[in-house]
Amino acid sequence: MSNLLHFSEHTLQEVALVLMATVYFLRIRWFMKWPLGKERQPATGLGDTNPKKGERYSLANVAMPWAMESTRLKPLMYIQFVVFHLGVVAAIALSFIIPYGPGLLESSAFVSVIQVLTGAAFIVGVMRIIRRISNPYIRAISSPDDHFSLILLTSWFAFAFLAAPNDISGGEGIMLTYFFLTAFFLIYVPFSKISHYLYYPFTRTYLGRTFGRRGVFPIRRKPAYQMSK
Amino acid sequence: MSSIKNERSYKAQKLLDRMGQKLTRQMVGSLTACVHCGMCTDSCHYVLANPGDPTFAPAYKADRIRKLFKNHYDWTGKVFPKWVKAGSIFTDEELHELKDIVFGKCTNCRRCTINCPMGVDLATFNRMARGLLCYVGIMPEGVEYVAKEQWEIGNQMGVLKEDYIETIEWQEEELQSEMEDPTAKIPIDKPDSNIVYVINPREIKHDPRSVLDAAKIFYVAGEDYTMPSEGWDMTNFGLFNGDDELGGAVAGRVYDKVEELRGKKLVISECGHGYRSTRCEGPNWAKKDIAFEAESSVITMLRYIKQGKIKVDKTKNPGSYTFHDSCNNARSCGLTEEPRELLSLVVEDFREMYPNRAENYCCTGGGGAMSMAEYRPSRLKSAKIKADQLAATGTKTVVTSCHNCVDGLTDLIGHYKLGMDVTQLVNLVANALVVDDIVEENKKKYAEKEEVGAQ
Ligand code: SF4
Ligand code: SF4
Repeated sequence: MSNLLHFSEHTLQEVALVLMATVYFLRIRWFMKWPLGKERQPATGLGDTNPKKGERYSLANVAMPWAMESTRLKPLMYIQFVVFHLGVVAAIALSFIIPYGPGLLESSAFVSVIQVLTGAAFIVGVMRIIRRISNPYIRAISSPDDHFSLILLTSWFAFAFLAAPNDISGGEGIMLTYFFLTAFFLIYVPFSKISHYLYYPFTRTYLGRTFGRRGVFPIRRKPAYQMSK
Repeated sequence: MSSIKNERSYKAQKLLDRMGQKLTRQMVGSLTACVHCGMCTDSCHYVLANPGDPTFAPAYKADRIRKLFKNHYDWTGKVFPKWVKAGSIFTDEELHELKDIVFGKCTNCRRCTINCPMGVDLATFNRMARGLLCYVGIMPEGVEYVAKEQWEIGNQMGVLKEDYIETIEWQEEELQSEMEDPTAKIPIDKPDSNIVYVINPREIKHDPRSVLDAAKIFYVAGEDYTMPSEGWDMTNFGLFNGDDELGGAVAGRVYDKVEELRGKKLVISECGHGYRSTRCEGPNWAKKDIAFEAESSVITMLRYIKQGKIKVDKTKNPGSYTFHDSCNNARSCGLTEEPRELLSLVVEDFREMYPNRAENYCCTGGGGAMSMAEYRPSRLKSAKIKADQLAATGTKTVVTSCHNCVDGLTDLIGHYKLGMDVTQLVNLVANALVVDDIVEENKKKYAEKEEVGAQ
């Protein structure tokens, strides 16, 4: 292994992680400085829910495609979402496994799992790029950051797929690209929309708290009253 | 009016300064967390009625507000404005363009909110944007007019106190005649009552029958209630124009009157935004914890039936009915099951509309849209979605628990020639009341009294 590859797997990643954590810390501090709107009203609704239940339901929404009409009616979009995010988990995990637990990659089954996840995420990434460009609704709301973040992640999946066997016998190009991309990703993420997951727990909690207090969450769709004479 | 870019107009500067004072952490979360996934797009009735026009998409509309936040309050936008589509506002023309979006292209129905995986609540910051524009004097004429009436006269339809009292007295006479009881009363300002009943000024101005129907129900239930002479308007234009001060003042008037009368419970007649404003948002705007109970009259009527205080006969309401959930009742206050239960007790043929409850589509008159004449054509165009929903039920009458929805639905039913009627639960419950025995008894009682008097 060259010094450059060693550097990219270790020092570079560590510096990038510290930078990311610092910016995240600053972002959260900035966010928490905004005053929290207070809900004073006594609870409404049937009394079978409450702010805590609303929060739990709201946070679990991500795993309940039936809960929202938008995911219920578009299961393919939901599947894409799952595949894409599993790809992110796999690609991040790989960046730790290669330097700190390479033994795991001696198992071809394990490598296959990583490759299936990142490969599928790559395909979804390409589908999403096409959608972002061709769908007039998505195109109209997209910023340069949206396009760039998507292209960045999709390329990163491709290199994660290729890097998974951890084999440098044919050269270090793929591994170097994967680790430099990972470092760039870590530094770029806090400034981009990819950092949405930082806000997710807050936005969903606040919404769930309000809607739980007001008897809206969990959303009811039954019973159906159909009582013709 | 400034038209030179980079030289910000007085109003634009004032709006941007005010924004910082109105942002809460919940709003900042919603302004920051959007990933532009577009999952909310099809949840909006404006999008569905205007296929191919992305300017109606919730995220697109949200971005018109978000860009200001990013540019002036979020440091990523300050550092890389173009990269994250941050932008500012300079001219009064731009403020008017923003007005046409936040008032004219969104009814604040919150349907996109419950369909956003990230929990972005556009309706809340859209309301904030409305408030900012009103703060600098830019709003639809109708909104300005109604808000002024509510500030100055105390109710949003400019009903004078004497007209209000006169209408109640007139309905009291009707009650006496219908119940054959010359002593029947619609009490005004009676202290220490169990219930203080507040209404929508539309009931005084256009629908006094609803006041009579409620009075009949209270009469038969033997309720100890009163209507207040002041602070009787439970509607609140502060919800629509985003003015928390107006919202707090209007709700505060109601709360103060209940306290002054030492009422035990506040009952709010059927009105979605009135219920949400008085029951839910009012304490937040007025910064006041209310010490008495408050409930929708739907819950009160249902309880009367369950407790046997009133008897109803559903055969008195023949025909087929569907129920339209007001967005404010269903999506913001969880009032979905009680109206259904009540409706099923007073009509024989009730058919659900789909989607329903919190997923129902707006009547398209929400968010104060009925007062914005300039947007009527686009409102009615977007109402196609609701019209299709109504037609699919195959019913003759749509029931709703909201005066605003009554107007919105009536308008669209006429426009799309659906030939349906619109009514409220209070009307159906009053119509289904079993009162023959009471009326007969009253007849006898007062005939005897008259005879005794004559002797
Ligand atoms: S669904 Fe939510 S995150 Fe996605 S575009 Fe709409 S508001 Fe933004
Ligand atoms: S709040 Fe309602 S009207 Fe406004 S954008 Fe969302 S779905 Fe459309």
